[in-house]
Amino acid sequence: MRLSRRGFLAATGSALASAQVALRARDASARGALDSDSALERLVQQTLDAARKAGASYADVRVVRRLDESLSTREAHVTSAASSESYGLGVRVIAGGAWGFAATSRVLPVDAVAVATRAVAMARAASHAVERKVTLAPEPPHVGAWRTPLEVDPFKVGIDEKAAFLLALDAEALRVPGVKFCESSFHAVREWKLVASTDGAWVEQELTRVRPSFSATAIDATTGDFAEREHDIPALQAGWEHVTRSTLLADARRTGEEAVEKLRAPSVTPRRCDLILAPSNLWLTIHESVGHPTELDRALGYEANYAGTSFATVDKLGKLEYAAPAVTLFADKTTPGGLATCAWDDDGVATSRWNLVERGRFVGYQTTREQAGWIGEARSRGTSYAQDYKSFPFQRMPNVSLEPAPGDRGLKEIVAATDDGIVVVGRGSWSIDHQRHNFQFGGQLFYEVKRGKITRALRDVAYQSNSVEFWRSCDLIGGAREVELHGSFYDGKGEPGQVNAVSHGCPPARFRGVNILATDTRRGG
Amino acid sequence: MSLDRKTARRLADRILGHARRLAPGADAIVSLSYGRSANVRFARNEITSSGDVTETVAAVTLARGQRHAASTTNQTDDASLVALVERADRLARVSPEDPEWLPPLGPQRYRVTPPQHDAATRDLPAEPRVAAAASAIAAAKQAGVTVAGFHETSGGASALATSAGLFAWHESSNIELTVTARTPCGTGSGWAGGTANRAADVDVSRVVATAVDKALRSCAPRALTPGRYTVILEPQAVAELLGFLTGSLDARRADEGRSFFSRKGGGTRVGETLFPESITLGSDAADPLTPGAPYSGDGLPRQALTFIDRGRIARLSYDRYWAHKQGVHATGAPHSLHLRGGTATPEDLLAGVKRGVLITRFWYTRPLDPKSILITGLTRDGVFLVENGAVVAPVTNFRFNESPVTMLARADLLGRETVRVPQHGLDLRVPALRTHDFHLASVSDAV
Repeated sequence: MRLSRRGFLAATGSALASAQVALRARDASARGALDSDSALERLVQQTLDAARKAGASYADVRVVRRLDESLSTREAHVTSAASSESYGLGVRVIAGGAWGFAATSRVLPVDAVAVATRAVAMARAASHAVERKVTLAPEPPHVGAWRTPLEVDPFKVGIDEKAAFLLALDAEALRVPGVKFCESSFHAVREWKLVASTDGAWVEQELTRVRPSFSATAIDATTGDFAEREHDIPALQAGWEHVTRSTLLADARRTGEEAVEKLRAPSVTPRRCDLILAPSNLWLTIHESVGHPTELDRALGYEANYAGTSFATVDKLGKLEYAAPAVTLFADKTTPGGLATCAWDDDGVATSRWNLVERGRFVGYQTTREQAGWIGEARSRGTSYAQDYKSFPFQRMPNVSLEPAPGDRGLKEIVAATDDGIVVVGRGSWSIDHQRHNFQFGGQLFYEVKRGKITRALRDVAYQSNSVEFWRSCDLIGGAREVELHGSFYDGKGEPGQVNAVSHGCPPARFRGVNILATDTRRGG
Repeated sequence: MSLDRKTARRLADRILGHARRLAPGADAIVSLSYGRSANVRFARNEITSSGDVTETVAAVTLARGQRHAASTTNQTDDASLVALVERADRLARVSPEDPEWLPPLGPQRYRVTPPQHDAATRDLPAEPRVAAAASAIAAAKQAGVTVAGFHETSGGASALATSAGLFAWHESSNIELTVTARTPCGTGSGWAGGTANRAADVDVSRVVATAVDKALRSCAPRALTPGRYTVILEPQAVAELLGFLTGSLDARRADEGRSFFSRKGGGTRVGETLFPESITLGSDAADPLTPGAPYSGDGLPRQALTFIDRGRIARLSYDRYWAHKQGVHATGAPHSLHLRGGTATPEDLLAGVKRGVLITRFWYTRPLDPKSILITGLTRDGVFLVENGAVVAPVTNFRFNESPVTMLARADLLGRETVRVPQHGLDLRVPALRTHDFHLASVSDAV
């Protein structure tokens, strides 16, 4: 799953200019309000100089162009086709030991300099209420360019071609008796970003992410009951080829049939039993019960007013038995196709992979340049991110994944080894408390397992547990053969709220004696 | 650039002009927004970040017959506006026909809604925001607790124009302050918040004092067995649950059999009495506490709507297409929800409760079952045991599994005072209320 550094389109020194030209020339819309790269470079330098002149001890500039294209359908027609573009420049400074930030959508010298000056004034105002002055962990001044490896640029595929693909899914699912509604959509994001700092960082990246989705709803008019099945296809950092090579079209009819099967299935009977999570469900549990608790800012109280804090406090680092000894969970901003993958973060730090939980023990946090020193680490882990030009960069989740077990154990083998359990497939409802102890997750499809065999489909299943208790109960993990990469396109954090896209890789896994709830008992088990 | 009425009209006309020239015969809808937003964030008794952003956004939707597409930009120079129109047209030309598309609205008559804009709030400099954060920090230090919070002021204007001759313009400003206080013992946490159109209307010291008081009083919580309890929900908690009702108020979902308000065998439950007589739920852009633009996103005039009238389902909301198909009046989706208050004082809500739980707010609320609108979530930042009509002790947090429908159906007392709570993208105006058999399903160790 590791991305070779050779896979990076890295450029240094004199190669920079040509790499930038090549990158920017690929997309005419990346020209922005300025006509040339050298003009933009001059403007960025001017902005950094203005911040320094106004009294900043550190400054960084982000010039970001973000393109979004989305298409939605329901049944046999397109409900919306939309494209949006935002471009601008954000300046973050340290003055008097405090952060200041300001941004403008007018990428012109006069506005950029004004924004730099305003950011410094804001930092100075805030510096009177700062106890611990901001200091940044050292990082070599990286210079280079990188972009998402992809085959078919989704922004160059016609909306008619995309619509034809989505409408074909709808048509196929609607052939299934009992399926009355279906919805499909495709969302592509392109983020072109230049980050430059007074520490010498000058990195330019172009990230492309795509998110297809498809669901079918079956209705029983006589009972007034209905059930929806959402396909498990993940969002990825990739091109349109992710959609055309997927099994979406081949699965469309089955998706409709699964909605009908779900509608007719009996409700689960609440009890404790073993839980077998398919990768399409387990990824979100990893996200909520491992990804968020190991964010250092959260653990230290910086998110207390909104997202909450964490049970994984600093005093537990290196000590807490977070999971069963077979479990290793790692952070990785270089996973190929991962939604959070990039070459450098928004602090200009080179990205990497490291363990958060190693053979069951809690061993690592996610950090930025500001945060590394808070726990005595010399270097940042490179997890700073701002969603667009007007957002303050702060600590965001990297891709967090479960290490597969040796061998090639798959879902089938785990089912065969289970006496009394439930298999959960796909993402359903999810909720976890503000210190990441108590969670309750649903799914898309549920299957009862008795004496090593799947006996019937169930519905209305939710599993409820506590993060550490749950991970300690993990006793079977699949091999690399069945690892899948799923992810969230819209992970929220911070005030004002920002969205981050992040992936989680995992094989199927089994958890012992988990509390199973019924979310609707009207149908009977 | 700011966006006063004249500037907005000029900008909209420029875009409509480009649309006429580049896409002759196409219908066009232009929407504009201009806003400044500035904030300060604090945590661990110090300021952690601040920001100040101004942006103008222009969007155009073009329709060639039943083929339509939309495009958005934050660049307002002429070349960017031409590119904006071209992009929408390029997409519209190749988009499949949408049988549900309706041509844009022409001129409309709108009601006058209460003023919602305060230039002083929009233009508030950094110093008063920093001072508010500093005063929260000072109060926290004095009380021996730690605070985290967010103070944001914003203001601006939006406009809507169509090729059929509609032009609408609306200005508003806002302040939002939220504060969470936590105790050094690690077992107490309290939250409070305030929001208003004018910065001067949020009392910073009152918000901070409430959060600090809640934190101190919630120290060393008692364990309580999960189960069904009589609960007194503060307005924030009521709003968090009630917001989930909004999607179900859509008539189309109900007609299609995909909503709590769908009737078995077809049709909707409009006309049925499902709640006590004390429950009246509506939406009104002219409400003085939760005023809104007098028009919805597509230009429909916003009327005062009553969804639940003294317990009876009075009506549902209709978008233009579904109203057209069903032959009824279109209402647009509500921008606000107002649950009418009752007569109870805070003491009345407690009085007579033999054993119950007082809940400040909920967290991470998510739908479990769309038919019954069953929601799961957790309590947070102030949960207290009530015995014999009095608050007697803090208790641990809980996960709950409950529906806003059953919350309202079992409510027997509603508070006199109603509070504005932004939630679920809506402005809610709600009282505290008392309800019964509320399912606190499992204990959460979170503080």
